[in-house]
Amino acid sequence: MVVADNLVKSFPIAGGQKRAVDGLSFRVARGEIFGLLGPNGAGKTTTLRMLSGMILPTSGSARLAGYDVATQPFEVKRVLGFLTANTGLYLRLTPRELLQYFAELHGMDRPSARRRAEHLVDWLDMREFADIRCGSLSTGQRQRVNIGRVLVADPPVLVMDEPTLGLDVISNRLILDFIRRAGDEGKTILLSTHYLDEAEMLCDRIGFLHHGRLIAEGTLEELQQRTGLSRLSAIFLNLAAEGAESAAPAGAVS
Amino acid sequence: MTFRRRVRTIYGKELVDLLRDRRTLIAMIVVPIFLYPVLMLGSLQAITVQTQALGQRAIIVAGLGGADGPQAESLAHLQHEYDRIRALEPPAPRAENDLAAPTESAPSGGAAADADQTSAAPPLQLSWAPCGSVEEIEQRVRDRSAHVGLVFEEALTLSPDRRNLVRILYDREEPRSATAHARLEDVIARVAARINDERREALRLPPTYFDPFEVTATNLASPSSILGQILPLILVLMTITGAIYPAIDITAGERERGTLETILACPVPVIDLIVGKFLVVTTIAILGAALNLGSVCATVYFGGFNELIATAGQGIPYGQLALILLCLVPFAVLMSAIMMAVCSYARTFKEAQNYVTPVILAVLIPGGFAALPATELRGMMLVVPVGNMVLLTRELLIGAPVGTSELLTVLLSTTLYASAAVAVAAQVFGKESVVFADVESLRSTFDRRLIQPSPRPSLTMALVVTAVLFPAWFFLQSWMQSTRGAEDGIGALRRTFAAMPVMFVAAPALVAAYWKVNLRGAFCLGGASVGAWAGALLLGTSSWIVARELVVLQHNWFGMSDLAADSAAALERLLRDLSSVELVVMLGLIPAVCEEALFRGFLLGAMRSGVRKMTAIAVSAAVFAVFHFILAKLPVTFLLGALLGWVCWTTRSILPGVLIHFLHNSILTLSAAHREWFSFLPQPQEGAQDHLPAVVIVPAIALFTAGCVLIGRSAAKTAGGGAD
Repeated sequence: MVVADNLVKSFPIAGGQKRAVDGLSFRVARGEIFGLLGPNGAGKTTTLRMLSGMILPTSGSARLAGYDVATQPFEVKRVLGFLTANTGLYLRLTPRELLQYFAELHGMDRPSARRRAEHLVDWLDMREFADIRCGSLSTGQRQRVNIGRVLVADPPVLVMDEPTLGLDVISNRLILDFIRRAGDEGKTILLSTHYLDEAEMLCDRIGFLHHGRLIAEGTLEELQQRTGLSRLSAIFLNLAAEGAESAAPAGAVS
Repeated sequence: MTFRRRVRTIYGKELVDLLRDRRTLIAMIVVPIFLYPVLMLGSLQAITVQTQALGQRAIIVAGLGGADGPQAESLAHLQHEYDRIRALEPPAPRAENDLAAPTESAPSGGAAADADQTSAAPPLQLSWAPCGSVEEIEQRVRDRSAHVGLVFEEALTLSPDRRNLVRILYDREEPRSATAHARLEDVIARVAARINDERREALRLPPTYFDPFEVTATNLASPSSILGQILPLILVLMTITGAIYPAIDITAGERERGTLETILACPVPVIDLIVGKFLVVTTIAILGAALNLGSVCATVYFGGFNELIATAGQGIPYGQLALILLCLVPFAVLMSAIMMAVCSYARTFKEAQNYVTPVILAVLIPGGFAALPATELRGMMLVVPVGNMVLLTRELLIGAPVGTSELLTVLLSTTLYASAAVAVAAQVFGKESVVFADVESLRSTFDRRLIQPSPRPSLTMALVVTAVLFPAWFFLQSWMQSTRGAEDGIGALRRTFAAMPVMFVAAPALVAAYWKVNLRGAFCLGGASVGAWAGALLLGTSSWIVARELVVLQHNWFGMSDLAADSAAALERLLRDLSSVELVVMLGLIPAVCEEALFRGFLLGAMRSGVRKMTAIAVSAAVFAVFHFILAKLPVTFLLGALLGWVCWTTRSILPGVLIHFLHNSILTLSAAHREWFSFLPQPQEGAQDHLPAVVIVPAIALFTAGCVLIGRSAAKTAGGGAD
């Protein structure tokens, strides 16, 4: 469902190019939850933005649901839902208006968009606050609206970039339940996080990103076997140390 | 989902979103609705109160000696005479809205009390401040303990055999002192006039005895009023202000709230997003301008300020309001695009506000200059951004006649600047580094080390270069014309054409080189096929006849203005003084190379990717025509530009166009300078309305058609070869 093949993203800096993502390759099968783990600056956000068709790869290729992210970004965006903890809402619109707007942006005509918004309002139990402007909602209510926005086109692939970063306990639980439920429904999920316990709890497979490179990939059991360690945090630190020894940092100027 | 539907959806949402914001509503509705009435009523009341206060207060006169001394008695004598004539003078008709008359309701004292309601002369209240010397009088005026100083050389007497010498000491910088001085001079003048009349009547002399002249001066200058001077600047500034907040909110504001990434993850092209947002900013700017205009008109109309604000009894020409608003549309587009481009670089609302401040200051300079009473809508001011709009609005508001040529120059130049600004806004907003607000976003645009090489200029670059060159070229032309008086016209002509390579080729080449654009690609300098060259030769030798016939048709249908005829005759006289070689180089070769390089190479070349063929050719031809600054030539220049654009687009090179342009210009110029060589042409005395004989026209059209066919075929071969 998601295939990244030798994906590279460089940004121009004074005196050369900085590689934020350096030859990244991995696959995510249909219905799988794949966790992309790594410290800040590892290249997770850049990878997810490339896979979502928001920025172009410098080289390499990636396909999402069969669509090439570089040449078919709109088709890619049609089949994915994108969520981050920092994702904001239009605070002067009501949840109902907001859902209808995003449904229309996904190509639905106005009556269909209205019906879809109504369905999501019911499904996510938002009727109570569906006509209150988003700016007056609690954090938990806003996260529910956000989930509704992600699901507005019922996408088969969900891309989530640090979806629980900085959220309170209740909102955090709401998002984690949503991911679990979406996984159960057979959606393919690409999740980036540096909360290792979340990854341990949710992900079918995990990839470790370090300095823009994938230094290890597999199920939790496979990673445990490879390192001889049980906790994901210990595994990560071990792999990061290995990666630092074996490879020059991709962030270096080329 | 179509482009139009997506843009409509984004537009609708953004408009609702912005109109629900208190800040937008305050800036757009509350400020204009309350600003003007409060400003006008408030300032008028303040002026009235101040002038009334000045009139009501007694004038403190510093003079030599005490209140019972001869100097004080002279002043009392003067006041007595004044009060006497006040009682005699007939009442003045009370002007409607004459709020500025300071002493209508001022209390009066002494003998003047009864005359207050009847006399045209305002009452006078004086208070004596005794001084020991003239130095003391001066000191009292300076330290403002007295309004004026008054010294009678001798005691006042109204005997006909003596003139009274009176010295008034006052401080012109001090309003009360200046007012008191004016009052005293007025009092003395009135008393003197009355005494003159009485003496003349006693001698039974006619009124003309002392006044052999009666001078009536009529001011024929455009009526200049507070309304005409200040209001256009306010309108223009409010249009800008209307664009600022929405531009910040939907760029930096959206980024700050974290909604930009959300929208970019939707299946919506960035260009649709920009167009939708841009249209909203423009709508709000125009709405703001309309509300401002409406509010000021309503205040003037219902407040009864018409006569007070506009001089010579002229009010706002309400019929012109729609035209004023129409003129503000391209300006609103220009400012919205500039604001969006600037704000797109900002990561936060506050940062955007910081970026906007220098833009407003930059706008205030030409706007403020244009608001000066002496600045006129002509010459260079026609193309100065912002300044030209302030002046145009002023002329329309005061009902001054605005020529079609001036109106079009202002509107077309503003449209050109607006197009460049929109292109910049689109490019800035579409940049990855800008969208995701990287720290490097601003640097990546201007730091040469971060710029990636490109085969041809971007549309934004081409439009910005053209938009900057347009006023620069206009300034240069105006300057050359203005120096013609001092030197000969040929010198000015030579300098103009010497400047052309610098402006039309070197300037864009420098810009292209800085932004790492391949120069060969930047100017479409690729080679052309033999067929294309042959076609160009045929077109070049025949296009001038076709163009001439079109001009004749145009003149026959629409007539030729005296100005256009005079300019053509003046140019012909100049051309006769130049050698043939100089003619061909200066008016043939230089424009051919330079104009093809800029309009077809740089501008049209930049439109190859992303703009439809016909649109690109039409835009480059329109810009080419506008650069010639002659309204009468606009249609023919546009058609010639379109032909050359088509040739360049088809052959993918400017070189065949250079040949056509060179032949066209050279033959036309030579035919004007050396009529003897072109004896088959009708002579000028017969008028420019005469068509060429069919024996000339028919072969020329045949050659023209053959040239087009050859060029068209060369395109088919190029396409077949797969070259791009």
